Amino acid sequence: MLPRILPVALFSGLEFPEILIKWLSYVAPAVLGALTAVSILAPEGQLYVSVNNMFIWAFIPTMLIAVKTRSLFWTLSVGIVVMAILYNLTV
Amino acid sequence: MDRVELKTGAKDAVPVVLGYLPLGFAFGVLATQAGMTVIQATVMSILCFTGAGQYIALGVIQAQGAVITAVIANLLVNVRYFLFTTSMVPFLKNHVNPTIASILSYGVTDETYAVAMNRYQSNPPTASYMAGLNLTAHLGWISSTLLGAVLGSMVTNTDRFGLAFALPAMYICLLVLLINRKSDVLIALISAILCLIIGYAWPWSMSNMFNMVIATIAAATIGVMIREF
Repeated sequence: MLPRILPVALFSGLEFPEILIKWLSYVAPAVLGALTAVSILAPEGQLYVSVNNMFIWAFIPTMLIAVKTRSLFWTLSVGIVVMAILYNLTV
Repeated sequence: MDRVELKTGAKDAVPVVLGYLPLGFAFGVLATQAGMTVIQATVMSILCFTGAGQYIALGVIQAQGAVITAVIANLLVNVRYFLFTTSMVPFLKNHVNPTIASILSYGVTDETYAVAMNRYQSNPPTASYMAGLNLTAHLGWISSTLLGAVLGSMVTNTDRFGLAFALPAMYICLLVLLINRKSDVLIALISAILCLIIGYAWPWSMSNMFNMVIATIAAATIGVMIREF
């Protein structure tokens, strides 16, 4: 809870230098890039790069739908359905 | 209280809530299977409101680890929220009273952050919007957890329904939504690669997401050093 509340409480009165604003603007893509990579390539906590990793296969159509629809609902629906299909076909 | 802004915030939260349905539901199911009561699982979602953090805590409980491990892991996982809210400050300044903004920022999650940042690109932030967005998302999270916890006994294998891909699918969508410039693509890629390398070399950093914090700081720093292309 604190990491979310404190920065706004402490830093709101400050004038941020240009370079800091630019740095902060890259935080979002960097965080999501990392989170996405880990959740796909290390789903159980360890690096798992293999043709057997269903997450990698499910990633492809999901990414396409995400780019096309830019909708959380559709991306999630397609992702979950694809995963369900892959899981039930291979297990 | 701006009614229009409040409604817009709530409306923008709908896709987030839809995304939380499988995520919170799965958490509720897993929590009760790990031995938590329905009340405990729901209260956790009320107090924490963190997808990754709550799942990690669950993992520690299941492995019968010490409470301190869950606390430390949560702190590290949530450090990224520090980066998120700090990056929001330039947008919130002069538009939302700092005290109100900081209180409402309790509801900043990966998803609400992505939605809010998307909105603030073209609209000035308001306290009403923040409230509508974060409170609606939080309610959705609590409800889906409760539902999952209650129905937990009926669902034995969530993998069969592809729910394991709920969180990754959400991250994929957020990634797409948050990329605005060509340099964002490069930075996201660099961050991803660094994160995986660090996690591979130091496995402990993978489980508590510290590799992500380091990769983010490094990638963002590279971002300010290069010129837009």
